[in-house]
Amino acid sequence: MPPATLGELEQLVLLAIARLGDDAYGVTVRREIAVRTRRDLSFGSVYTTLTRLEAKGFVASRVGAPTPERGGRRKKHYLISAAGRRALHRSLNAIRTMARGIDASWEMP
Amino acid sequence: MSGRRDDPPAVAAWILSRALPESERDAFLGDLEESFRMDILPHRGPAAARRWYWAQALRAPLFLRGSGHSPRTPLTAHGDGHMLNTINDLRFALRLLARNPGFTSLALLTLALGIGATTAIFSAVYPIIMQPLPYPHADRVHMIYEREKKDGQTSYLGYSTFADLARDSKSFASMAAMGQGNVTLTGGDQPVQLETQRVSPAYFDVLGVHAAIGRTFRAEDDVQNTPRVVILSDGLWRSRFGADTSVVGKTITLSDVPFIVIGVMPRGFENVLAPGAQGWTPLRYLVTDPWGCRDCRHLRVVGRLKDGVTDAAAAREMDVIFGRIVHDYPDKYSSIGLVMPTVQADVSHAARPVLFALLGAVALVLLIACANVTNLLLARAALRQGELSVRAALGAARGRVIRQLVTESLLLAALGGGAGVLVAIGGVRALVALSPAGLPRTAAIHVNTPVLLFALALVAVVGIGFGLVPALHATRADLHNGVKQGMRRVGGASRITRASLVVSEVALAIVLLVGSGLLLRSMARVFAINPGFEPAHVLTMQVNAGGARLANDTAVRAYYDRVLAAVRSVPGVEAAALTNQLPMSGDYDGQGVHIEAHPAANPADDPSPFRYSVSPGYFETMRIPLIRGRLINEHDRADSPLIALVNESFAKKYWPGADPIGQRVSMMDPVKGPWLEVVGVVADVQQLSLSSDKHDGIYAPETQWQYADRGMSLVVRTKGNPAALADATRGAVWSVEKDQPIERVATAAQLVSQSEAQRRFALVLFEVFAAAAFVLAVAGIYGVLAGTVTERLREIGVRAALGASRGDILAMIVRQGLGLTAVGAGIGIVAALGLSRLLTSLLFGVSALDPATYIAVTAVLGVVALGACLVPALRAARVDPIATLRAE
Repeated sequence: MPPATLGELEQLVLLAIARLGDDAYGVTVRREIAVRTRRDLSFGSVYTTLTRLEAKGFVASRVGAPTPERGGRRKKHYLISAAGRRALHRSLNAIRTMARGIDASWEMP
Repeated sequence: MSGRRDDPPAVAAWILSRALPESERDAFLGDLEESFRMDILPHRGPAAARRWYWAQALRAPLFLRGSGHSPRTPLTAHGDGHMLNTINDLRFALRLLARNPGFTSLALLTLALGIGATTAIFSAVYPIIMQPLPYPHADRVHMIYEREKKDGQTSYLGYSTFADLARDSKSFASMAAMGQGNVTLTGGDQPVQLETQRVSPAYFDVLGVHAAIGRTFRAEDDVQNTPRVVILSDGLWRSRFGADTSVVGKTITLSDVPFIVIGVMPRGFENVLAPGAQGWTPLRYLVTDPWGCRDCRHLRVVGRLKDGVTDAAAAREMDVIFGRIVHDYPDKYSSIGLVMPTVQADVSHAARPVLFALLGAVALVLLIACANVTNLLLARAALRQGELSVRAALGAARGRVIRQLVTESLLLAALGGGAGVLVAIGGVRALVALSPAGLPRTAAIHVNTPVLLFALALVAVVGIGFGLVPALHATRADLHNGVKQGMRRVGGASRITRASLVVSEVALAIVLLVGSGLLLRSMARVFAINPGFEPAHVLTMQVNAGGARLANDTAVRAYYDRVLAAVRSVPGVEAAALTNQLPMSGDYDGQGVHIEAHPAANPADDPSPFRYSVSPGYFETMRIPLIRGRLINEHDRADSPLIALVNESFAKKYWPGADPIGQRVSMMDPVKGPWLEVVGVVADVQQLSLSSDKHDGIYAPETQWQYADRGMSLVVRTKGNPAALADATRGAVWSVEKDQPIERVATAAQLVSQSEAQRRFALVLFEVFAAAAFVLAVAGIYGVLAGTVTERLREIGVRAALGASRGDILAMIVRQGLGLTAVGAGIGIVAALGLSRLLTSLLFGVSALDPATYIAVTAVLGVVALGACLVPALRAARVDPIATLRAE
């Protein structure tokens, strides 16, 4: 089986998790993406992606503490796994390789 | 309130918590709530935040799609997968409906009308026929009637008979006799005429109801020469006594007689035996009263069976008792036994055939509506064949696809049903407004919980019913072929289904059209009947003579003379007269008549024609033709020889071949008289309704009757529009005595038309339903043919290319459409032959198998169906073979 590739949303979510360190859970992941890329993803999309990444073994989750502003519900924290890191690396490499040389013509005014 | 607005919407959260798989539920809901509180609420405010939460919730269930679950291992593995599937299906269905506004609005409109009309009719059927009457153990409350030997009709009971039955019966816990009363309540601003019910003391015990304030009757209230008592209805208590609880114990004046108020009935008390009664007084009869006799059959009797006594046991016991009574008084009874229907059956008896006919009719409309929507769905399913094939190819189980399609049709049915409930609410109002006076329990007809449950059941049946057919079709077809051929071809099976749907629509429409055609022809026949008088230009109203100033018969008769004189002097009045009973007004006064020429062995078997007490000028005012002899005139006074007139039917029946003039009859004693000499014969008048076959009538001068009636109907022939003279006539009556109430002002033409109100009610609704069925069926024919032409475009192109003329192609399509119509019409006619018999009780002068109706209906449908075929046929004929083939 060839190594699994990443979709765009998967890349974004993995990158967000990587940036957030040990504070990655639904709210922060979505906020991180929104702040940096101005993309307002729905929680549905974020969770779809997270669930998929988890199923592929790219992230691991652990259940955190409940807080009052969450209505007393527990968080689900995500950490990027070694396989996830490799996949992200591969994927970003591919993009960089493919983009090399045409960046100039794509420069925005 | 603000606290709640700052919380996430609970409904959305609940839906989510049901839809989410357990592994993600807490995290997801928690994240959503945290964002709601921390990110959204502070920036956008509560309303926008709540909208945001809903939007998130509605998009949420998508997140499991493709998340490692293959389509073959559907989400049912999760505990809540079903719910999730359903939500996904619903969202998909909603999107589909929104994307096809034409299809959606057509289907919704059809369903709303079908479900709405059915629900509206059911809301009348439910309280009248199905819902138990609002009394404890209502099934134990029975009416008691005598059954007449003469015509098998039932009759009321005389007081002495009632007293015997009540005393001797062991089956009944309690039994009561009832009569009507009419009193004038004075003491307020204006005198008001009240309808009351005069009842023996056990009446409220029989019904099992108690007073809201005070008490109901006791045996001592029914004793003559004790203080009179009255119980008020809630409505009267509120409108006339300002809902004052201290009224109990006070004395009020009814027709100049003091009555002590002893109780007020509860607001919800539904008095089905006399719905208009505003008060109750004790009957106060004695068996020795002249009006308490055995053949004074004017009291209705109602009784409550003891616990544990079966209807059959009670009937056996009562038969024995009644047999003994008849044996003891053989010349007082012509009855052959007792009839004891439950009050429920008795009250709904007359309305039953109409309601069932209407329920049947509206069910047919609903079936046609469903057939149409099924057709629409089938047509759409054909277009979606590609999509469904792809789904199947990707591994969707057949059951899963069917579920999706049925969800769609259920959603459609639910939306249609929701709109249908609105239609029903409007329809119920129209229904009650249109309803004939005889329809019982109209106050209980509304859209309530049982009716809504009925609508819900309809939605479920309809949604699954019309969804399953296209779903099975769509999934049975070879889905691989579907992928290959895209959306071009439709399976032959689907075409056959659609054809058979059209055939059944046409058949159902024919049944309804035949039904309404038969009713229409009956109506025409009924209104072609001569009422026996000329209703045009006649105004009628009931005038009353009550109170201390008119205490005796002499005063009352003088009052009537002055009223007539005053009314005759009103400009525009041609003639005026008085009668104790007015044709077609609901009045029914029969009287036993003994004929001197042939006395009956049992006087109780003698004829009992309508008895009219009329003033001179009555026949002239009503324009009732004189056949022989003379009319009543001013010289027929109380002290002149007693006379009578009979009508033609009476004369023919009782003096066949002999001259009725000079014959003598008695309306009192069969032996002693007094005897009245017949001086004239007049034409028959329809007393009860146009379609009634009861005609025998006898007329006597009002002045010669044994007592003066306290309520008489004034008939006035006017030069112009009779309704325009109503106020002037009323003013003339009041110029004589200003405190006498005047009731039921109506033109004679209105009375004639109202007398057939039940028939008209059925006819109007049938016409509406038949029209709807007709339009839907024609739309169905058009739809199927238009669909066929689209699907067969290529074939038609080939035919044209191979030399078929436009005429050939036109004929081919028209033949197909008319063929379907003909098959449907054939089946419909056979069905109508069977079903229209159910209408028999509503028909008049027309056989349920009336050939003219069947032919006319088929012809009309045929012509319109031809029109519906021509449009797609002409389109087919214009097909350009080159263009079609090139498009391949």
